[in-house]
Amino acid sequence: MKMPGMTIKHASAMPAPTWSWLKMNNVKIEIPDGLERNCQVEIDAGDALDNAASFEGSVASLQERMDAARAEAPADGRAMIDAATGADRGAEKLDVPALSAYEHRAVRSEIACDIASDFETGVGTDIRAYLNFLAGGTAVLAAEEDEDAEAAIRVTTRAGEASGASVDIVAAPRSTFSVTLSLDSSADAPSFMGSTMRVFADRGARVDITVYLTASDAVTCVEDSGFVLAEDARVTVRHVVLGGAFTATGLSADLRGDRSRIDVDTSYLASGAQQRDFNYVIRHRGRKTVSNMDANGVLTGISKKCLRGTIDLVHGAKGAEGNERETVLLASRGVDNKTIPNILCDEDDVAGNHGATIGHVRPEQLFYAACRGLSQEQTEALFLSAKLEDAALRAPDEAVRANVVRLGNQIIPHFEEEIA
Amino acid sequence: MSTNPLLSINNLTASVDEKTILHGIDLNVAPGETHVLMGPNGAGKSTMGHVIMGDPVYTVNEGSITFDGADITELTPDKRSRAGLFLSFQAPVEIPGVPLSSFLRAQIAGRPGLEMRGKEFRRRVKELAAELSMDTAYLNRELGVGFSGGEKKKVEMLQLLLLQPKLAVLDETDSGLDVDALGVVSRGMDAYRKATDGSLIIITHNTRILEHLEVDRVHVMVDGRIVREDDASLIPWIDANGFDSFEREAAAAAAGETR
Amino acid sequence: MAKNRTEVADIDRSLYDFSYGEEGFERLDAGLTPDIVTEISQRKNEPRWMLDLRLKSLEIYHRMPNPTWGPGIEGLDMDNIVTYVKPNTEQKNDWDSVPDDIKDTFERLGIPEAERSYLAGVGAQYDSELVYHNMQDTAAKMGIVYSGIEEALHEPKWEAIIREKFMTLIPPTDHKFAALHGAVWSGGSFVYVPKGVKLDFPLQSYFRLNAKGAGQFEHTLIVVEDDADLHFIEGCSAPKYNVANLHAGAVELFVGKRAHLRYSTIENWSKNMYNLNTKRARCEEEGEIEWISGSFGSHVGYLYPMSVLAGRKSRSNFTGITFAGTGQNLDTGCKVVLGAPDTTATVETKSISKGGGISTFRSSIVATPAAEGAAASVSCQSLMLDDISRSDTIPAMDIRAKNVDIGHEATIGRIGDDKIFYLMSRGISEEEARTMIVNGFANPVSKELPLEYAVEMNNLIKLEMEGAIG
Repeated sequence: MKMPGMTIKHASAMPAPTWSWLKMNNVKIEIPDGLERNCQVEIDAGDALDNAASFEGSVASLQERMDAARAEAPADGRAMIDAATGADRGAEKLDVPALSAYEHRAVRSEIACDIASDFETGVGTDIRAYLNFLAGGTAVLAAEEDEDAEAAIRVTTRAGEASGASVDIVAAPRSTFSVTLSLDSSADAPSFMGSTMRVFADRGARVDITVYLTASDAVTCVEDSGFVLAEDARVTVRHVVLGGAFTATGLSADLRGDRSRIDVDTSYLASGAQQRDFNYVIRHRGRKTVSNMDANGVLTGISKKCLRGTIDLVHGAKGAEGNERETVLLASRGVDNKTIPNILCDEDDVAGNHGATIGHVRPEQLFYAACRGLSQEQTEALFLSAKLEDAALRAPDEAVRANVVRLGNQIIPHFEEEIA
Repeated sequence: MSTNPLLSINNLTASVDEKTILHGIDLNVAPGETHVLMGPNGAGKSTMGHVIMGDPVYTVNEGSITFDGADITELTPDKRSRAGLFLSFQAPVEIPGVPLSSFLRAQIAGRPGLEMRGKEFRRRVKELAAELSMDTAYLNRELGVGFSGGEKKKVEMLQLLLLQPKLAVLDETDSGLDVDALGVVSRGMDAYRKATDGSLIIITHNTRILEHLEVDRVHVMVDGRIVREDDASLIPWIDANGFDSFEREAAAAAAGETR
Repeated sequence: MAKNRTEVADIDRSLYDFSYGEEGFERLDAGLTPDIVTEISQRKNEPRWMLDLRLKSLEIYHRMPNPTWGPGIEGLDMDNIVTYVKPNTEQKNDWDSVPDDIKDTFERLGIPEAERSYLAGVGAQYDSELVYHNMQDTAAKMGIVYSGIEEALHEPKWEAIIREKFMTLIPPTDHKFAALHGAVWSGGSFVYVPKGVKLDFPLQSYFRLNAKGAGQFEHTLIVVEDDADLHFIEGCSAPKYNVANLHAGAVELFVGKRAHLRYSTIENWSKNMYNLNTKRARCEEEGEIEWISGSFGSHVGYLYPMSVLAGRKSRSNFTGITFAGTGQNLDTGCKVVLGAPDTTATVETKSISKGGGISTFRSSIVATPAAEGAAASVSCQSLMLDDISRSDTIPAMDIRAKNVDIGHEATIGRIGDDKIFYLMSRGISEEEARTMIVNGFANPVSKELPLEYAVEMNNLIKLEMEGAIG
């Protein structure tokens, strides 16, 4: 049965919006018309495929610990709390600030302290519902206490089809879980694939997630994830986005437990008329939590990219530190790069840093390369191939590497031969 | 001097930000010759190297540069490189994100006789690295990022040997070469001379680097002008006397001009 | 280190917080109707096109929604904001003719003294109308025009220029409060600097909103012709009332080829003010606009001076500081459009949050495809002075040109204990140490201000910092 097309509006919305004329607050995802639902997902998880553990159960036990700690906390008399109980009262109460809609939501969430209702994924509720529908069920992958586990998830789609995966990853205390997610398709007609993932990293657990997106020019692709980190949990995520007509990558992380840490490393490439969209939201709620977001990309052709990155230093996250950096190389005329690195801060004993560098190959680099015989175009192409080579070199397994090589061969002549 | 020079610079005047740095330079280098360009700090020696290579920072106001029978004054640096010119940088730039090996591969792509594929290329680069006692791990590192001065020098020499240009300009001025880097440059020059019958212009004020080298001509530059040209015997003289007398003469000449 | 902070005492703002009665003043009925707008226009005896613009703007105002992304403005009841309050005096050009209470106000704000010592000209607006306007003869002889904008509107030569430019940089469709401004604007200055004329001393306009529950909607229009140079200073203040006041001014600046304009502002509104001000500059080839902006006071602030770099190699420099204390939500920043080749922009901002106040730095850097070779650098630093306040940074960049170089750096944090300790170990009290460090933090802005204003700003910071330590 062919499904009608669909537009999902306000996807990958950043928490605190800005001027709407910039068209950066969120993105519209168009699911092509007339696709056949055909879920093509392969999960290789060995013992980790487990239905005993549950994401909800883990969240509930973390909630209990949080509630117990909160019961001892003194009453909060901040003006911000007062402000969130109603609308701006103007001159009637000048000592209470007028909150924006976003600030209202932020303070109310803080008062409620409800992990389950705070849970969000980077792309958002609507796309998650659609992907859950495509997947038809959620696979639960669990690593047991003090154990090591590994899993590989492969999602693909064929021309005219829609395919989706829904996975929960639950890492018990002090476990180590290494997950590879590959979204790959060489479909030559409009098609859709995606994955939605919930990750719970319990006390002292270590979760490493590597995502490779190597879709052809005809594929719309969404990769959606949400993380909850308990005390001392450590998560690293690597997003490698190399292909796809339209891709939306979204990650939201709740650093709830004290000393939890997430490092996100993003590498992307867009060529032709492709469009890349990224939404990262990292909420520091626990004390001494740490986050690092590092994105690095190359845009060529007439491609478009928007990256929203938000570090949210929530009240109570004393000693937290969030860093965010993006470097974008605009390798041709006609590209459109949007970057918005936000820091939201409701705490004083914190550090937030962000930086962005958007530019072109610098004149002295161009001259140096030219002295060795490279034209401007050739120098720019170098950055492109370097990105692909790095992706191939660091591919988590042979299958993923082969996907990168296939894509590389389409972009760069002799790519396979050169990296052999 | 050869009647058929490889490089011929005629009455070259060049400037940056409307300030003239090179004044009416004439210089001829025949195939296989080794020339040395010397002079005090700020004389314009490095500028000379960069102008020969076509650095867009500088504007050529007058004169011409002919290389291998063709006027290259208007050519972009990449075209000059492919015509057989090479400039080793005093301070090579860093290009984060691009591994050295990719950079090398891109350099030889499309060069007749030099282009190599996959395995052949890697074998060749490893050979050259060994010749320069360079750790091959550097090949996978981002170009220049975190390289020491000596390592950067090695990378420059590696490119010299890989490209085998007809004329190489080695800009060694002010680089405060330590013994290690000095050795790298000497070895690189030897290997280059052995492998090709290419010409060299060495920009330096450190005469030690010239000890094992057969130098054909020495040019002394002061305030953007070539003030003296002679054979290799000038080197020990400069060693003993420095550039003072040249500078005094230049100052006197300049004063005479304005009178 | 004193970890326990006490509640912040209410700050003594008596320097600015005084008001006089409105006896003999004319007030229009509150609320916004075409009749009120027509009445404002008729009283001012305006040309027809201006009335049309007002009526069209009013329509747009009623149609447009409130902004959804910024601080709440529910406390602002538009029906209760009296749009037009006309003081009981016509515009004067010597202080002795200005009524005593108004003159006393400006004396207390130090305006006549500043005029005597270092300004080339001064305009003073009290509520909706200019009450004083004067310029030194030397400046007048150079051909510089500095007058009330309404006055200029009645001179055919200037009317033509005003008509050509008025609300073209800030069209009424821009946002709801630009539309409101278009409908009810009143007062403000017109400055014209002819080609090649460089004025060595600044001109200053001071806006004082005295009336309770009123709105001030002055319009400033400045034309700096090719190769000319001007420094313009704008000061604003108001006494504190227990009802909301509204300031929705508009500033339109036209900078010619190779011309230079420095626009310095210290907005120091009382804490019942909703400051929804719009400022914009357009630069032609090699023209340069410099914004120096200090935002203090007001309950809610929306302020983002914008530079449109329309000519090749034109430049914009923005230096700003925002201090949000108790009860304040100040949403400030700037916008830059790199719209031509080789244009450059720098943005350097500082924000300070304290006593439960909220400050948001919001910006946009847009490089159009025409902006080949453009460069921009943005640096914003936020300082949190306690753990009950809030500070957000929302910087957008949309880059569509090749060969650009766009850099952005932002940091947020508090004063390091080590710094306080170091200063205290040399015998400085904690409060003094904090004030010193905050003043140092603000230094990049204050050093750009004329000395008198830098002193004023440091005093404002000192006022805000008082009682910060238990």
